[in-house]
Amino acid sequence: MKILTVREFFEMKNREFALTVVTEPKTLDNHVEESQLHRPGLALAGFLERFAYKRIQVIGETEISYMQTISEDLLYDRIKEMFEFSIPLIIVTKGLSIPQQIEYLANELNIAIMTSRLSTDKLINSLTRFLREYFAPQKSMHGTLVDAFGVGILLTGKSGIGKSECALDLVERGHRLIADDLVKIVQADDILTGTAVNDFGYFMEVRGVGLIDVERMFGIEAVRKSVIIETQVELMLWQDSMDYERIGLTNNYVDILGVSIPIIYLPVSPGKNVSVILEVIALNHILKKYGYEAAEVYQRKLQERIKKKTGLKNLAENDENEL
Amino acid sequence: MISKKIIVDNKLGLHARPCALLVKTASRYRSDLLIKKDNIEVNGKSIMGVMMLAAEYKSELELIANGVDEEYMIEEISKLFASKFNEE
Repeated sequence: MKILTVREFFEMKNREFALTVVTEPKTLDNHVEESQLHRPGLALAGFLERFAYKRIQVIGETEISYMQTISEDLLYDRIKEMFEFSIPLIIVTKGLSIPQQIEYLANELNIAIMTSRLSTDKLINSLTRFLREYFAPQKSMHGTLVDAFGVGILLTGKSGIGKSECALDLVERGHRLIADDLVKIVQADDILTGTAVNDFGYFMEVRGVGLIDVERMFGIEAVRKSVIIETQVELMLWQDSMDYERIGLTNNYVDILGVSIPIIYLPVSPGKNVSVILEVIALNHILKKYGYEAAEVYQRKLQERIKKKTGLKNLAENDENEL
Repeated sequence: MISKKIIVDNKLGLHARPCALLVKTASRYRSDLLIKKDNIEVNGKSIMGVMMLAAEYKSELELIANGVDEEYMIEEISKLFASKFNEE
């Protein structure tokens, strides 16, 4: 499981979330390990069973007003009890100030507190999104990621099979490159999103030429930062022993980070125009998404034709028998 | 070159799945394969061609193989027909 220190979090997001650190710097060494948030209303009221203390705690206007309704001594005891749990971080929204004793106890018990100028709603939404992305399962894969007609195609296959050349060809035809050679894939809500591993730009190695800068060469329209990976295409040298799909009535799937997406094993041989086929794969994928399966439609027509002929034959045979 | 007449013995005829099986099998051999039905002649290694025949139950086909491994090819394809393409 990935770990996020409170310091890292602050450095990444202090601008976006308008954060200010209230407690001493040492509290920033705490670790956030869960991607959910928690509103500690019940904990403040003294109910500490099932207190989700490992999560980031968000305190808004409601909680602050509640604290003002109870006596200082009671509040001190409640907070102390609550802070016995090793809470990594508390964020107070709307830039509200917190009672002195809370700040004191937080420093004593090593709990980080920040204030945010954002409203509770806004902070919770953005923070949830950030944490979900940060803690989302991810991996990097050897391959090239392109966007053809808006469909993210992950090209895989052995080194030298021509993934980069394929991507270049697609770029020339007006499609876009996301990443070459190494693709970072993040899974969230059963959707796979692919990006480049670093932010150096859109460089690519072309064998015999060396590195090229795709964005410089083809312009901003030729590149894209991220795309939803909808299908994988494995390029492979033509092998006589391999059974390639001929009709398309059966689909193959591959599992990436627990999400199953279609995979096509595409034989390549010299002189074969792979980028046209990749365009066709993208378009066919769109048609399938809209519910049109060419293979099934053809199959249905063929079966009808065969049935009709069989019927006619039976009729003819019956006639003969009657005669 | 050898040729053999064969009857389609599976009830559904040569619809997409049996055609795919036939073409895949034929493609494993080096010999050429022609399939003839009612004066239509198609390449046995081409899926669209074979499907175009729309060969129904009890129809007669002629397989014509030509090449170094023609006998083995015809033998295996005959077996496919005999097994009714594993459909029944």
